[in-house]
Amino acid sequence: MASILTIPESINIMSKTIGPAIKERDPKPIQKMAIEQEEAGGDIQDLNLGPARKAGDEMMAWLVKTVEEVSDLPLALDTTNTVAIEAGLKASKTPERCIINSISAQPQSLEERMPLVKKYDCNFVALTLSEEGIPRDVNERGMCAAEIYAKALEFDLPSEKMFIDPIVLPVCVDPGQVASFLEFLPLIPDFAPGAKSTCGLSNISNGTPTELRHFLNRAYQAMHIYLGIYSSIVDAYDSEMMALCKGKIPQVEELTKTLMEGGDVDPNSLGVELQVYYRSIKCLKGEVLYSHSWIEDLVDKYDPNWYK
Amino acid sequence: MAFSALTEKYSGKMGTLTFGSGDQAITVGGQAAMPFCTFDGEIPNKPIVAMEVYDVVDPEWPAAVVDPFKDVINDPIAWAKKNIDEYGAKAICLQLASTDPNGENKSADYAAELVSKMIEAISVPLVVWGSGNVEKDAEVLSKICEVNEGKNLLIGPAVEENYKKIAAACLGYGHNVVSQSPIDVNMAKQMNILISNLGLPMDKIIMEPSTGALGYGVEYSYSVMERISLAALAQNDEKMQCPITNDLGKECWKAREVKLTEEEEPAFGPDLEKRGVLWEAITGFDMLLAGSNLLIMRNPKAVKLVEECIDELLA
Repeated sequence: MASILTIPESINIMSKTIGPAIKERDPKPIQKMAIEQEEAGGDIQDLNLGPARKAGDEMMAWLVKTVEEVSDLPLALDTTNTVAIEAGLKASKTPERCIINSISAQPQSLEERMPLVKKYDCNFVALTLSEEGIPRDVNERGMCAAEIYAKALEFDLPSEKMFIDPIVLPVCVDPGQVASFLEFLPLIPDFAPGAKSTCGLSNISNGTPTELRHFLNRAYQAMHIYLGIYSSIVDAYDSEMMALCKGKIPQVEELTKTLMEGGDVDPNSLGVELQVYYRSIKCLKGEVLYSHSWIEDLVDKYDPNWYK
Repeated sequence: MAFSALTEKYSGKMGTLTFGSGDQAITVGGQAAMPFCTFDGEIPNKPIVAMEVYDVVDPEWPAAVVDPFKDVINDPIAWAKKNIDEYGAKAICLQLASTDPNGENKSADYAAELVSKMIEAISVPLVVWGSGNVEKDAEVLSKICEVNEGKNLLIGPAVEENYKKIAAACLGYGHNVVSQSPIDVNMAKQMNILISNLGLPMDKIIMEPSTGALGYGVEYSYSVMERISLAALAQNDEKMQCPITNDLGKECWKAREVKLTEEEEPAFGPDLEKRGVLWEAITGFDMLLAGSNLLIMRNPKAVKLVEECIDELLA
């Protein structure tokens, strides 16, 4: 069954435990989390410092060393501060395995960060964002990707170093954007041959009830997996999500395939858990209008161990 | 081979809602096609305009919406009668502005009694609209429901924060409810689900998606309403299959374009009345094109213009 690369997201400065630990340079909570994420099946450790405007370089260098002490996984250096990214690359034992986040089709981003990729021979996230903002449709996503791809060629970088992120937007903001993302994923080889793909999955459920977000996240992930996504930033503490990413829930893959290929099934013939996937996929495909109550009658009956 | 025009066939159709009682009851909704597209499907009920009556008038109102009612403006019942007898109103919307705690803060009992008197006095269906204050509306509107049991009024707006009390009163005392959402199609559906979970059937609910006047977000309302209509028709989404209303009079008549004189804004030209009438009529007609079934409007000339368009397009 299909398996994708997972990038656990929890080492994040916004986190209530990790944020203070980074500021106080306390390695313990961070190392504990790194070990847990690796044990949960994570493939790349995301180190998210956000904007990191103040002393971002020292913070990133420290964080990289701290995590590498306990985990051999490659790192994703996730900050908008370019100086901090370079500090992280310098600090890493294996900068060539790192992914830097992110290079957009905005000229400043291309000019500042492409040389870093060249210098450290690392990987990078190519964010389909241009001077005009978030692309409105699949064509504009393609144009952004092609522009970054062309710049990478200029620097003589192999396209395998490029992880294209077509930008996930929330289902309750614009279902058109959800559809456009799905339409774009299988076109990546056309716009950027050899490039990989990734995304910040959980943004799909931004604005939906907190306790229900993972149901939408998983269903969207199943759709991405069907469409051949290469990697995804995920919550490693969601064990059903991790099982899904590692190809261990064939029932979901089968249902997703049927629905994605235009088929349908009688939802009443499905168990509660697959019905949740069914309804979520219908909303995410734009066939049914999303509302906060989309699975209200099923949630209480959901068995968290159903797939085991 | 003869030419045959391509038509759009929908799997769903909009539900209906009937308010008012006896011979005077009005049914809205029920369309199986997008607005005015009678070639695609049946549109059994014409959209209706309910004419506004206020129980207290803001002194800031432009002359264009004071002059037509000058003689009755302090008497909502006489005003309603004038709207019906002189201006041909098919329905009345009583706006209970005086109950606003930030204004006169009149009581629920006062409002319930005014509604009773109004029902006695007029011959057309009645919409009752609260001041928009979430807590006060819950109190006032549920009292009105109770005191006027069985009159099949249309009562609103019920919003996420107060729908339980208002919708429960509508259910308990035999009225219909306006389900209002903040220009958000997902929330519009959610509100309908929440209200119908209380036991109120879909044919007792009408949606108000929050209305923006021309120049003040009309396009957002338009887009949400179009999506509501398509969900109801093309996706056969039963929780979206209730008619739509737009409370637009109060939005239009506070726009700066209907208030500024030529001296203040020369580009706007001299005819303040015409400007205001067109502002309201165009907003109203936009809402019809987006799928509205019931417009709440203020100026008699604007109402007439919109009704002429409806009659011509659905002749």
